Amino acid sequence: MSNVIELRIKRQDGPGQPSSWETFKIPYRPKLNVISVLMEIQQNPVNAAGKRTTPVVWECNCLEEVCGACTMNINGQARQACTALIDQLKQPIVLEPLRKFPLVRDLMVDRTVMFDNLKKVRAWIPIDGTYDLGAGPRMAEAKRQWAYELSKCMTCGCCTESCPQFNARSKFMGPAAISQVRLFNAHPTGEMNKHERLEVLLEEGGIADCGNAQNCVRACPKGIPLTTSLADLNREANKFAVDRWLRK
Amino acid sequence: MSSKYHFVVRRVHSLLGLLPIGIFLAFHLTLNILATNSPERYEKVINTMRETPGIFLVELVIIFLPILFHAAYGLIVVYGGGVNTLRYQYFRNWYYLLQRITGIITLIFVAFHVFTLRVDGATAQATVTALTDFVKTPFGLVFYVVGVLSAIFHFANGLWAFLITWGITIGPRSQKVSTWVCSGVFVILAAVALKTLAQLLA
Ligand code: HEM
Ligand code: SF4
Ligand code: SF4
Ligand code: FES
Repeated sequence: MSNVIELRIKRQDGPGQPSSWETFKIPYRPKLNVISVLMEIQQNPVNAAGKRTTPVVWECNCLEEVCGACTMNINGQARQACTALIDQLKQPIVLEPLRKFPLVRDLMVDRTVMFDNLKKVRAWIPIDGTYDLGAGPRMAEAKRQWAYELSKCMTCGCCTESCPQFNARSKFMGPAAISQVRLFNAHPTGEMNKHERLEVLLEEGGIADCGNAQNCVRACPKGIPLTTSLADLNREANKFAVDRWLRK
Repeated sequence: MSSKYHFVVRRVHSLLGLLPIGIFLAFHLTLNILATNSPERYEKVINTMRETPGIFLVELVIIFLPILFHAAYGLIVVYGGGVNTLRYQYFRNWYYLLQRITGIITLIFVAFHVFTLRVDGATAQATVTALTDFVKTPFGLVFYVVGVLSAIFHFANGLWAFLITWGITIGPRSQKVSTWVCSGVFVILAAVALKTLAQLLA
């Protein structure tokens, strides 16, 4: 193990600005992660050529892989910087912002579209009434167990980054929001508004736009069975579409 | 395509890929190998088909128009997709890309195939002679091998996707089994097609 950590970071001052690569060398210490190395650069923003530069901008919150804020491309693939351990990474470590979202600055992007898609598919359970609606139906334990796995999604965008169908030429909402439809449709109270969510999946950008590349399921750091959700909702969406048509 | 019909259009595209196009492909390849085994029987089938009243209409509705729609909409689908196989080198991602590449090759191949053998061709015998002459040139042989294998790959891998699109194979295990089954379909149809080509050359 050499005594420096070498990083190549893609720099860009803002949307529409030119981008360039900058190399940094940090003294090696064991057990660092990408965030802690970025913090070192922040404290002493000097690049490998010894020139003073602007500190690299990135985002983070939880530092334990539950918020998704620190997601970036590390050595070519999207993952969380806070759990990317330097000791396990090939050097030079290449850091780039996610490519599928509008850039804010350096490694920081605007993932609003992910949250807009959650709103679009109504990824919540409506429980408000003008009076107390009382306790809802209970959920079967066996169902709760697999549904819990789906609830681990942190809207990080690793899946959309890896998905070839999620791009500027297509309206595809990506697998994360679609998988949330399965989660909320599985909930006994959420199920009451199942049709509203399935309706959205039938629109352009919905489930039919998945191309079965199956990258998403491998890219998801939370191990969410995205392709199972997609196939399951294909079945549900088909049934729903036929049923809706026959009732017209 | 209007948002209202988006889902239906996509599902029709998927359905046509299997029914009738995929079934036609399998039928066509099987008939061809029968032909190289017994030219008389082939001639008889072809002539019976040609003499069937309204065969042109049947072909138009169950073969030509479905392929035209599937291909045209397929190109729109290709345009809406992306390529990131070098960053995400998963086997399924390569197949995703191959599905699109083989679709485009198949389009070129089928257009040429139909134009040269159907529009220009006259009797069944003349068609076979024209085809044999063509595949005896090095370019013709490569063109046919690549074209036919592309069409078969596209169909076999399309079958795998079809099973997901229609919500039949849901979990990872059933999707893995269907990968094997569809690979089997590819190998069998490819063997049939290559054997037929080899017999033309003999
Ligand atoms: C021999 C003729 C063909 C056969 C048997 C065939 C069959 C199929 C099948 C079964 C599918 C799977 C549908 C699904 O995803 O559920 C498919 C998908 C597809 N086909 Fe074809 N096809 C043929 C020709 C073409 C042509 C000429 C094109 C034009 C480029 C094309 C483009 C596509 C595309 C892009 C898909 C992927 C659709 C998606 O992922 O949503 N196909 N095809
Ligand atoms: S499904 Fe997985 S990869 Fe996609 S946003 Fe959720 S946690 Fe991230
Ligand atoms: S399976 Fe669908 S959602 Fe997942 S990466 Fe492939 S195209 Fe995207
Ligand atoms: S900081 Fe929350 S996931 Fe990395």
